[in-house]
Amino acid sequence: MDIGPIWRAMLKNKAGFVLIALQIAVTMTIMVNAFAIMQERANNVSRDSGIDQANTFALVSVSFEEYDSEKMKVLIDEDLALIRGLPGVRNAVATNSFPLRQGGWSMGLQLEPGTMTADAVGSAIYFVDEHGIDTFGSRIIDGKNFTPEQVTWKPLDDNTWPAYGIITEALGKELFPEEQGSYVGKSFYINDNDPVNIVGVIERLQAPWEGWSGVERSMLVPQRRTPEFQRYVIRAEPGYRDELMPQIEELLANSNKDRLIRDVTTMDEVRKLAYVGDTAMIKILAFVVGMLTVITGLGIVGLASFNVSRRTRQIGIRRALGASKPAIVRYFMIENFIVSSVGLIIGGILSVALNIAMVEAFALEPLAWYVIPIAMIALWTVGQAAVAGPARKASSISPAIATRSS
Amino acid sequence: MFRHYLKLGVLSIRANPALSALMVAAIAVGIGACMSIVTVRHVMSDNPVAHKNDVLYHVQLDNWNPDDPYGEPNEPPEQVTYLDATALHQAGRAFRQTISFKSDRVVQPDGDDARPFQELVRATTADFFAMFDVPFEFGGGWDAAADQTEERVVVLSSEMNQRLFGGEDSVGRMLTMNNESYRVLGVLQEWMPMPKFYDLNNNPYEGAEEIYVPFSLAVTGKWGSSGNNSCWKSPDGGDFAAYLASECIWIQMWVELRSASENDTYMQFLDDYVEEQKSLGRFPRELNNRLNTPAEWMVDREVVDDSVSVLLSLAVLFLVVCLLNTIGLLLAKVMRRTNDISLRRALGASKSALFSQYIIEAGMIGVAGGLAGIGMTWLGLRGIESVFSDYDFIAYLVSMDWTMIMGAVALAIVSALGAALYPTWRACSVSPATTLRIQ
Amino acid sequence: MLKMSKVSKTYRTDTVETHALREFSLTVDEGEFVSVTGPSGSGKTTFLNIAGMLEELTSGSYELDSRDISKLNDKERSKVRNEKIGFIFQSFNLIPELDIFDNVDVPLRYRGFDASERSRRIEESLEMVGLASRMKHFPAQLSGGQQQRVAIARALAGEPRFLLADEPTGNLDTHMADSVLDLLTEINESGTTIIMVTHELSLADRAKRNIFVRDGQVSDGPPELHFATAANG
Repeated sequence: MDIGPIWRAMLKNKAGFVLIALQIAVTMTIMVNAFAIMQERANNVSRDSGIDQANTFALVSVSFEEYDSEKMKVLIDEDLALIRGLPGVRNAVATNSFPLRQGGWSMGLQLEPGTMTADAVGSAIYFVDEHGIDTFGSRIIDGKNFTPEQVTWKPLDDNTWPAYGIITEALGKELFPEEQGSYVGKSFYINDNDPVNIVGVIERLQAPWEGWSGVERSMLVPQRRTPEFQRYVIRAEPGYRDELMPQIEELLANSNKDRLIRDVTTMDEVRKLAYVGDTAMIKILAFVVGMLTVITGLGIVGLASFNVSRRTRQIGIRRALGASKPAIVRYFMIENFIVSSVGLIIGGILSVALNIAMVEAFALEPLAWYVIPIAMIALWTVGQAAVAGPARKASSISPAIATRSS
Repeated sequence: MFRHYLKLGVLSIRANPALSALMVAAIAVGIGACMSIVTVRHVMSDNPVAHKNDVLYHVQLDNWNPDDPYGEPNEPPEQVTYLDATALHQAGRAFRQTISFKSDRVVQPDGDDARPFQELVRATTADFFAMFDVPFEFGGGWDAAADQTEERVVVLSSEMNQRLFGGEDSVGRMLTMNNESYRVLGVLQEWMPMPKFYDLNNNPYEGAEEIYVPFSLAVTGKWGSSGNNSCWKSPDGGDFAAYLASECIWIQMWVELRSASENDTYMQFLDDYVEEQKSLGRFPRELNNRLNTPAEWMVDREVVDDSVSVLLSLAVLFLVVCLLNTIGLLLAKVMRRTNDISLRRALGASKSALFSQYIIEAGMIGVAGGLAGIGMTWLGLRGIESVFSDYDFIAYLVSMDWTMIMGAVALAIVSALGAALYPTWRACSVSPATTLRIQ
Repeated sequence: MLKMSKVSKTYRTDTVETHALREFSLTVDEGEFVSVTGPSGSGKTTFLNIAGMLEELTSGSYELDSRDISKLNDKERSKVRNEKIGFIFQSFNLIPELDIFDNVDVPLRYRGFDASERSRRIEESLEMVGLASRMKHFPAQLSGGQQQRVAIARALAGEPRFLLADEPTGNLDTHMADSVLDLLTEINESGTTIIMVTHELSLADRAKRNIFVRDGQVSDGPPELHFATAANG
């Protein structure tokens, strides 16, 4: 059965069909862009932060007695000894922050000494001792870990940065874009004039800010510090994390009454909190797409029924003239296919237009090309499925209608 | 005639209960989707000091790196240095002024079994409470003199007072923080500025701090800021004094002028101050001072997340889909009633009479859709609340106020009327003769 | 060519049984022009529907070209209807959204002819009814008589075994009615079998053989008697 007469007939009575086409067009626009956003967010959320996520947790020790640096050093050493000695603890480190915490320290790094210029490369900073790498679970891909001798306590009146550092591969690529070989042994400058020599490169360790463009750039600094709020990151052996958390909290709280322990949190929770926005967006959009499919599906069923009911007589005539039931069904399926196609072409244009507008206004990622054909196939299917019912009903209209005098 | 059309409308709706219900549902769902997002946006972009927006100003100076602006293309830092904050505050050239920052302290409640806890404290100067119309329940803030004498006084929020003193008038009572004693000077009424316009640097919706102390006290006590801190060159020295004298920015500064017209005068004062500092070797960048009202500042800081705007565009399109459905349903209803229409036309109804009849009917559907849409909006907000349940502040962002409720109904009516235009036009075009053909 | 033997059609609802046709028998040979007449309610519409295979019979047999077509499934019946029967309806039943060409085309499309074959047939049959020049016009642009002639063209285009006409002039004024009847007579004279159902005696006269239907059965006797009785009974 050819398209010609069907198309010409549709043109004579456009209203019902225009509505279906528009509905499909707008639905496609929403779906395509929603999918694009969902995909972008899902990619964000699935990024590996570089730590042993499942087994690691952190806590904060807050001291509230009069600040005494030497006393703090003793306390920190005692705490770490206590923690590291527990069965089930693989390793622990006192540090300033950790990936996805949303707060931390960053510095600009340069290849030449002097005041920072626009070329400086931003990097997250983690102060660690030689246990840092094992606690975070980072993989050394070049060079080696800090030696115990390279790790020093920060002197109170000296702000010079330690001369050694371990960087992530991403940081290396940004600092030395031309370099094909090893970054080990190369140097850069921190805090304007302090030189840092790279002793090791780790595969990946994210910065505390998941939304930052430089999230993969981190640097480990071999320095032990004595802040009033000391963070401990603890890596447990598999299966021990949950029992260790309350145990360590209690032990530390009891060992020293001039401090309190707070913010005991697993890295799972940290990640969850960091990506609340992204996860929520995915859920909301998924719901919207689902609802939309239902509404559009029902809408097309309704509009198609309406379009069919207006042509009861015509259907009777066709049947009288020899159309079999499948022929009637085919007529409506083809008609709907044409309408859907028109709608999808308009929808395709609108989708791209909206995406371009959103990329401009909100710095979204431009959508991947394959989303459009997938959406088209999906909506073609929805359209055809929606019209199947009314089409079947149409085919059962008796040819005897033709002889009724209206 | 209007009442008559209302009656006709009711009859028509009753005669087509399923169709009418579907129309109301279609509108309600579309309204629900839109208004949920609009509500969130409305709350997020609220201005807690809208009533005095034009006299409050956020101060920015550009003491930053000559080779690299703080923000592209030439944005000054969001905070000021200690040197500048205190110097400007000292000069006292505005009607009121406040410099502040937040810091984590440990509160030690009385009682042996009471566990100490950490709390964010805002260190601020005396004018803070008057400038931002912060309401007091008991007592009051400190005066400028207290700023100087460094008396250990404290103001508590309503919740903190409830937590520490059971909500009673605690003025005069003592409170221990980090092993130091503070005297309670005042207790606030419930005050929840959303967003926290005076400090947008971290989470604009985390709510106001629960404890306030004089600025100078915090400085003498060498309290570190728990907010943002940035330096483009390191302090000359490792101690706190060097930090205070550095180019690091960590203080939020606001001024209140007597009227908006004083803006230019104060800006001139800032420019003069910076010129003077330049002659002392500071401020290597071009003059770049800013004064922003709270409304301007919140826009500048993009307090309303882009995600909300993205969702809003999709929600509007969603409403369009629902309206296309409504148009289809209305069309079906009209087509079903061509007999009724031709009869009326044959009996003398004009096109405009028919138009009025059908538009009023559509309006009724719109009202019903709007009312149902309020329910849908409520559901939508509960949904948003649940996916954001990890944010403690989410409850504030998903509350409907009367503006939003009326907005929902208004939007529903406008949408329904818009959707009805084409079907109603079709109805009016039905000729008296068509369906009354005699066999 | 066409043979109905003892055809009965009964409509059953929960409470009522209506015997629209009772043991109705009819034989029509090739080339005949037969009219089936009766007052309203006599069952002639039912006869029409059965003859045109628009409805199934309850009992009896219906043979077309010696093939029993009463027990076929929907697909087969549609095929027979399409290929063997040419319908002409009282209310023309042209499809308003299609132009004249596409209207005549409708049954041909279901036949499976290719485009050139269809074109040829359409042009020829419109030529035969004198409306070839109006191919691109729409039904609304034609008079009642012209519309009915298009319907006749549509019926002829498929070269059916017989034309089945239902009150073909019912919606036409006298002048148009005459010209349509002249056309039908012409068509019959060139060899096409026509079965016409009507309640008008003047129409029945134009046919060569008359069958009278009353209470679902073929009945004998002069037409006046039947109609008089019907009016009183």
